[in-house]
Amino acid sequence: MSSKRILMGNEAIAFGAMKAGVQIASGYPGTPSSEVMETIASHAKEYGIYAEWATNEKVALETAVGAAYSGANAIVTMKQVGLNVASDPLMSLSYIGVKGSLVILVSDDPGPHSSQTEQDTRAFGHFANIPVLDPSTPQEAYNMTLLAFRLSHEMETPVILRTTTRVSHGCADVVIGDIAPIPRDIEGFVKDTRWTIFPKLTAQRHPLLEDLQLRLSDCFSEYFEDNSFNSLSKGSSRIGIAASGVSYLYAMEAVRKLPGVFSVFKTATVYPFPEKAALDFLKGITDLIVVEELDPYMEEQFLQLAGKHHLNVNIYGKKNGCFPVSGEYDVDVVIDGINSSLERGNTDVPGLSHSPPAINLKEVPSLLIRAPTLCAGCMHRTVFYAFKKAAGKLRSQKGIDSVFSGDIGCYTLGNARPLNMVDTCLCMGAGISIAAGLSHTQEYSNNGKAKQIAFIGDSTFFHSGIAAVVSAVYNSADITIAVLDNRTTAMTGHQPHPGIGITAVGSPAKIIDIAEVLKSCGVGLVRTIEADGLDGCIDAATEAMQFEGPSAVVFRGKCVAISKGEGQYIVDEDKCTGCKLCISQLGCPAIFSISSGLPVIQDTCSGCGLCAQTCPSEAIVLKEVL
Amino acid sequence: MAPRLLATAAMDAGFHVATAETIGMAQREGSVTSHVRIGDDVYGSLIPQGTADLIIGLEPAEAARNLRYLRKGGSVVVNGHAIMPSTQGKGSEEYDPDRLIGFLNDNCPDIISADFTRLAKDAGTYKAANVAMIAAAAGAGLLPFSQEYLWDVLEKMIPEKYRDVNRRVFDRAIESVSDTKGKGMESRAFNDGRVR
Ligand code: SF4
Ligand code: SF4
Repeated sequence: MSSKRILMGNEAIAFGAMKAGVQIASGYPGTPSSEVMETIASHAKEYGIYAEWATNEKVALETAVGAAYSGANAIVTMKQVGLNVASDPLMSLSYIGVKGSLVILVSDDPGPHSSQTEQDTRAFGHFANIPVLDPSTPQEAYNMTLLAFRLSHEMETPVILRTTTRVSHGCADVVIGDIAPIPRDIEGFVKDTRWTIFPKLTAQRHPLLEDLQLRLSDCFSEYFEDNSFNSLSKGSSRIGIAASGVSYLYAMEAVRKLPGVFSVFKTATVYPFPEKAALDFLKGITDLIVVEELDPYMEEQFLQLAGKHHLNVNIYGKKNGCFPVSGEYDVDVVIDGINSSLERGNTDVPGLSHSPPAINLKEVPSLLIRAPTLCAGCMHRTVFYAFKKAAGKLRSQKGIDSVFSGDIGCYTLGNARPLNMVDTCLCMGAGISIAAGLSHTQEYSNNGKAKQIAFIGDSTFFHSGIAAVVSAVYNSADITIAVLDNRTTAMTGHQPHPGIGITAVGSPAKIIDIAEVLKSCGVGLVRTIEADGLDGCIDAATEAMQFEGPSAVVFRGKCVAISKGEGQYIVDEDKCTGCKLCISQLGCPAIFSISSGLPVIQDTCSGCGLCAQTCPSEAIVLKEVL
Repeated sequence: MAPRLLATAAMDAGFHVATAETIGMAQREGSVTSHVRIGDDVYGSLIPQGTADLIIGLEPAEAARNLRYLRKGGSVVVNGHAIMPSTQGKGSEEYDPDRLIGFLNDNCPDIISADFTRLAKDAGTYKAANVAMIAAAAGAGLLPFSQEYLWDVLEKMIPEKYRDVNRRVFDRAIESVSDTKGKGMESRAFNDGRVR
């Protein structure tokens, strides 16, 4: 039996995994991948699945690998930058292979909407010699998840299921089968030299690994005959279009007014590249337009193929400037790309046209820029502001400047004006290590010293902060670590972590206390304070910054996105002098004022009271009070 | 929630659907646009420029920011309640919502603009402004399915303790557009999803 449901691509993948009989799931949250694990975790008890959030992607992958070594069906989930963290085990694993099945779900983020990079996991799969499947719709994501588990088991290789934001976070009506999981008995771990990577084993396995790529390429070419996600169609012109992932849909919509004109090569099995099918497709084609977001991965495959077989075909894509090399695609971007390819080619196929908007866009009044910023009432704003104040004191009293190293999470938004409290941000955990590096070159500025402050969130602390703390302490870095502990992994949708005491499936767990970890790592001064009082935060920040050697403060608070605000504040117009410090200092999105008026607090105020504590005239008060 | 609500109601009414939403960093107080496609044949979830039948602007500037998507003859439902930015971006003009609403009213032939936040607040919670707007769109005949489909989905989505207040918001919003109902229905017929 099957049923039709509205599912987000990520949910469709989770249902596919459960249908395929997944037995263990591990992951680290990261937009746009997080809902896969969340969905599996919420059904884990029902289907007897072991599901967990691991502390980072490397740990998650290795956990899933252990399970797969024993014959289980495993899935591990992460975003594209998470794959970088997991790349160490991944590169070795491709040599070793698996016994049960192992699907690695990696979500890419063209645009990017919520990421540090626009990297392309198809290229990573190629680099690691691991097959990559690239669905274009939530339905395909569901179907390909089933395929991924099957392939992994049959070929004894991990398989990457790669999605992009529009597939992961797009919803559609999806037909799914009833979840009667396809059972696979767990054989259990059987000792064998095959599980221990040594140079000798690597040397033995490498030729087999290369051979597997060839076999898979052939297998993927065969899919064109009987599979809906790979297809070849011949058109009336001698122009071809090749596409994968969601770009395929953009291309089909772009050319829909010219039905049957283009030959179309659509593949969802992108690596190893289905060469035989591609060669077949190129017969009779003089001009090939490759439509793909992120890297020119398929374009390179086609260029190689054309070179290898001395084919006389022009190939248009990113490499000759017909399509943008970065950013997210949509139908309009693809229309422009196809048109510029058609212009360069020798063809009489007419150009494609855009639909003109109803309103002349030039007449639209210029609009405000609405950049992302910390939520109204977010505890991070209080802590950043406290450090700003403490740093001001340090500068005026001792002439010492401060450098603020940020990290990955909501609190990266501390860079927004007027806080401007993020001077560096690189990757998870790097705030602490970069601060340490800077501390060893303290004499860089003319006036001598600079104090190094590292901000890190609670989940990021467990992800890759701890090793950085150990290294900083061991190497006597003079840094202050501010742990912004809002009791959740906020940015990616509020997943629990080891500091909270609840597992992915909602069971109670042992709490790992961040302050105790810092102490046991040898940090000289460790304080824990509540983040709701500004003065207390300033004092704690000042004390930590004046401490010689590594110091740390754990600021404990709540994320307003999951905790209820307490009341709302209002500006007492009789007391307000119009100094607008509450606006110029804090950047809380709930307060605004037009240049001629007094500040106004909007409905979104969550009642943190920070502005009230900042106001020199005591003009901001609880609504009930006024 | 709004895109999923529309999509689920449309699916229940027998259409294919595709939505695109913004989640993560970009969502934190930034400009957020969701796309919902409803029809017999949907391609990707992103709507090409100049082809949207309807823009539901939860805020005036955000409605204006997305006008490039509106097709000729398309409709706009806009919340007149502005969300003012705390800090003016460098070089960005001061936000004048009234002027913007004026522009929208003058330039969009088929527009419903009202303070839906106030409407929702009066009915019990300002947080239901998006429910009010979608209900208004349905009430004005701008959706290719009837309002019952919407309420059926809402009823399932909303926790019981908030159901009554949302029902009030829903009904009041529909009532608020009752005089526009039927007006200009022809120009409002969907161009790629048929009304069943
Ligand atoms: S109390 Fe002030 S700072 Fe806190 S959320 Fe409300 S307006 Fe913003
Ligand atoms: S989601 Fe939570 S942590 Fe993130 S900015 Fe909002 S309040 Fe702060």
